[in-house]
Amino acid sequence: MFKSIKVALLAIVGLAFTATAYADFTFVSWGGAYTMSQQKAYIDTWDDRKNGISVENYNGGLGEVRAQVESGNVIWDVVDILPSDAIAGCDEGLFEELDWSTFPEAPGGVSYVDSIPENGTGSSGPISACAAPQIWWTYVVFFDPSAFPGKKPKRIKDFYDTKKFPGKRGIHTWASANLEMALVADGVKANKVYDVLETPEGIDRAFAKLDTIKDDVVFWSAGAQPLELVKSGEVVMSIAYNGRVGAAKLSEGANFDYIWEGQVLEGDWVAIVKGSKNLEEATEFLKHATTCEAQAGQAKYITYGPLRTCGLDVIKANEPWFHTGVNVLEHMPNTKKKVKRSVFANPQFWADNGTEIGERFSAWMGK
Amino acid sequence: MNQSAKGEILTTDGIPLKVSLKRAERLNKIRALALVLPLALFIIITFAFPILSMLLRSVDDKQINTVFPKTFEVYKQWDRKDLPPEELYATIFHEILNAEKLQIGKASTRMNYSKSGWKSLLKKSKRKFKKIKEGPYKEQMIKADKRWGQIEFWKALGEMVDPITFGYYLNAVDLKYDSDKNVIQQPENRRVYNSTWIKTLKVSVLVTLFTLLLGYPVAYLLATLPLKYSNLLMIFVLLPFWTSLLVRTVSWIVILMQKGIFNSILVWGGVIADENRMQLIYNQTGTLIAMTQILLPFMVLPLYSVMKTIPPTYMRAALNLGAKPMHAFYRVYFPQSVPGISAGGLLVFVLAIGYFITPALVGGKDGQLIGHWIAYHLKTSLNWGLCSALGAILLVVMLVLYWVYNKVVGIENIKLG
Repeated sequence: MFKSIKVALLAIVGLAFTATAYADFTFVSWGGAYTMSQQKAYIDTWDDRKNGISVENYNGGLGEVRAQVESGNVIWDVVDILPSDAIAGCDEGLFEELDWSTFPEAPGGVSYVDSIPENGTGSSGPISACAAPQIWWTYVVFFDPSAFPGKKPKRIKDFYDTKKFPGKRGIHTWASANLEMALVADGVKANKVYDVLETPEGIDRAFAKLDTIKDDVVFWSAGAQPLELVKSGEVVMSIAYNGRVGAAKLSEGANFDYIWEGQVLEGDWVAIVKGSKNLEEATEFLKHATTCEAQAGQAKYITYGPLRTCGLDVIKANEPWFHTGVNVLEHMPNTKKKVKRSVFANPQFWADNGTEIGERFSAWMGK
Repeated sequence: MNQSAKGEILTTDGIPLKVSLKRAERLNKIRALALVLPLALFIIITFAFPILSMLLRSVDDKQINTVFPKTFEVYKQWDRKDLPPEELYATIFHEILNAEKLQIGKASTRMNYSKSGWKSLLKKSKRKFKKIKEGPYKEQMIKADKRWGQIEFWKALGEMVDPITFGYYLNAVDLKYDSDKNVIQQPENRRVYNSTWIKTLKVSVLVTLFTLLLGYPVAYLLATLPLKYSNLLMIFVLLPFWTSLLVRTVSWIVILMQKGIFNSILVWGGVIADENRMQLIYNQTGTLIAMTQILLPFMVLPLYSVMKTIPPTYMRAALNLGAKPMHAFYRVYFPQSVPGISAGGLLVFVLAIGYFITPALVGGKDGQLIGHWIAYHLKTSLNWGLCSALGAILLVVMLVLYWVYNKVVGIENIKLG
C-alpha cells in the first residue's frame, strides 16, 4: 500500500514539474470559435515563443484577475477583455501598463496609437494604457428572411414594431446595447445616444421603447441561443453577436439577414495581468498579435472586424479573404458604410452606470 | 501475572499496566490525529478560512477610509443641507491630488456603488486638478466638473464614513443608508434583490417538493424490485446523473420549446391546435422542469439507500395484523423512510438555492436567481462587499433551515444509508 502511495505521489510531483516546464505562458480568452480564430491567427503564427502556450477559457469579468493579483499568485499572463474591464482593470492596477512607442506601426508611418480609431470613449487610440487592440464585435439584429413572406424588415425600428412585423423577438438578459438600440429605433441619432442616456429621462425613454415589445420577447443569456431561437422559429428576429451570425452564414450556409443600422459596436482588447511572470514574452506576444497582418488574419476564421483600421485595408486588398474562399468584408461590422448608422458602446458610461442600470433592467425584466 | 507492592497490575517489563495502556492509546490517538490532519487542514484552508474572509469582507469599508482619511474627518462636521464648505472641498482636493492613481481607481470603484458617476468624476478630477494651482478650490472644482456642485454626490459619501459598514447587507435586501446613516429603501427601480430572494426560495422549495414526489416512488421500486429489474432501473437514474449539466439543460430546451418535440407531438396527436403551442420554456415552468430533472438523483439515491435498510417483513407483518395497505405504508414504512427524505430534501434544497446556469439558460425573464447576482458582483461589477453579503445571507438561510430542521425532525434523523 505504501508503495502505491509513493508511486502516486511521484506521479503528482512529476505532473507538477511538466506543467511548470511547458505551460510557460497562459493566454486566456472566451473559448469556442473566437479562441480558435485567435489560436490560428496569433498563436500558431508566432515563431519566437520560448515554450508552449497554454490557452484557457473564462467567462469574462475581472473577478479571477483581481483574485490573482490580490493574492500575489498570478497564473494568467495575457487576458482577452471587454473595454469596460480594460479601463477598470487599468485603473485598479490589475494590468501592466504598456509602452506604445515600441508597438508596430501601420503602413505609411502611421503610429500604433493613431491606427486605432475612435472607439466609444470619444477619442482614438488605445482605450487604456494597459490594453492592446483585438477586434470589433457587435450586437446586431438578424432574421431568417423566410419568416417574412411579404415585406422584409430593414431598419432597426422594425425590430420594435410588432404590428408591421408580428412575431417574437430575442433579446439578451442585460442592459447594455438593449438601451442603445431602443433609443436609435426611437429616433435618436446613433452618435447622440449617450447624451440622451446621461439624463434620467433618456433612460426612461429607452425603457418605454422596450416596454412596447416586452410581451413578445424571449430572453437569451448565452451567445449560441439566439441562433437556435431564430433557426427553430421560436422567434422571428433576434439580437446576436455578429460573429455567431457570420459563422452560421459562412460556415453552415444558413440563410440569415442582418440589420446593421443601430448595431452596437464594442471592442475587445488584450492585456497583461499585473505581476505576470512572463512579462517580456507576453509583451512580445501582444506586439505580434496586433500587427495589421495578424489582425486581418483573425478575420479569416471569424467575422469580427480588426480593431486597427489597417487590418481592414489588408482584407480589402486580398479578398476573398475568408478561409473557405469567400468574401468576408460584407460581414465585418466596422466598414465605413456600416459604421455611420452604428452606436459605439461607451465603456465609461457603463463603468459609471452599469450596476445601477443593470439592476433596473433586471427589475424590468422580472416584472 | 506480576503485581507491584501497591497491588497494581504490572506488565512483563515491570511497568504498571495502566501506564502502559495509556502510552499505547496515546500513540494510537496521535496516529489517528495524523491521519485526519491533512483533511482537517484542507477543510480549514479551503472552507473555514474563505468563509471567514467572506464574512469580514461583507462589512469591511476600511479601504476607502485609508484613501480619504482627512476628508471623512471634515465630512462629519458638514450639516448636509447645502453644498459643503470650502474646507471640505480643499481637503478632498488635496487628497485626490496626492493619492496614487491606483488608490483613486480603487476608491472610485467603491464610491460608484453608492452613487453612479463617482467613477468617472474621480478619474477626470485626478487629471484636471493638476491645473488648479491655488485656492479657493470650490469654484474651480465645480468648473472642472459640474458634478462637484451637485449635493447628491456629496451626500452619497455619508454611508462610507465608518471603516465598518452594514451597508452591503442593506443593499442585499433593497435597503441603503442615507447621508446620515439612516436606513432607507432603495429607489423603486433599483429594488431587485428581495424579489430575487423570494423567487430563489420559491424555486428551491418547489424543486425539492417535485423531486420528492417523483423520486419517492422510484426509490421505492429500486429498493423493492428483484435485483435484475432494479439494476436496470438504477441505470436509468444514474445515466442522466453522469451526463453533463449543460447537455441536459440544452436537451430540455430542444424538448420544451414551442416548435420542440413535446409541443409537436401534442399538435400531431391533436391534443392542442398548432397556433396554441404551450410556452413551457424561457419562463419559470422551464426552470422548474429542468432543475427537477437535473436534481432528481440527489433525492433518489439517499432515499434508496435508506429504503434498502427497511426490512420488507415489517410491511408484511403490518398487513398480516390487519392494516390496510395505505395505512400500513403510512404507519410502518413511511416513518422509517423519513431519514432518507430529510437527507435528500436538504441535499436538493442546498444545491437548488445556489443554482444559476440552468435557470439562466431556460428561465428567460425569470431566469435570474440569487446565484446570478453573486456571480455578477464577483466578476462583473467587482462589488465584492455586496457579493459577500449576499453569500453570507445565503449561508445564514441555510443555517436557520438546519436549525429549524433539527428542532422539528431532529438531526439524528438524517441518513444517507
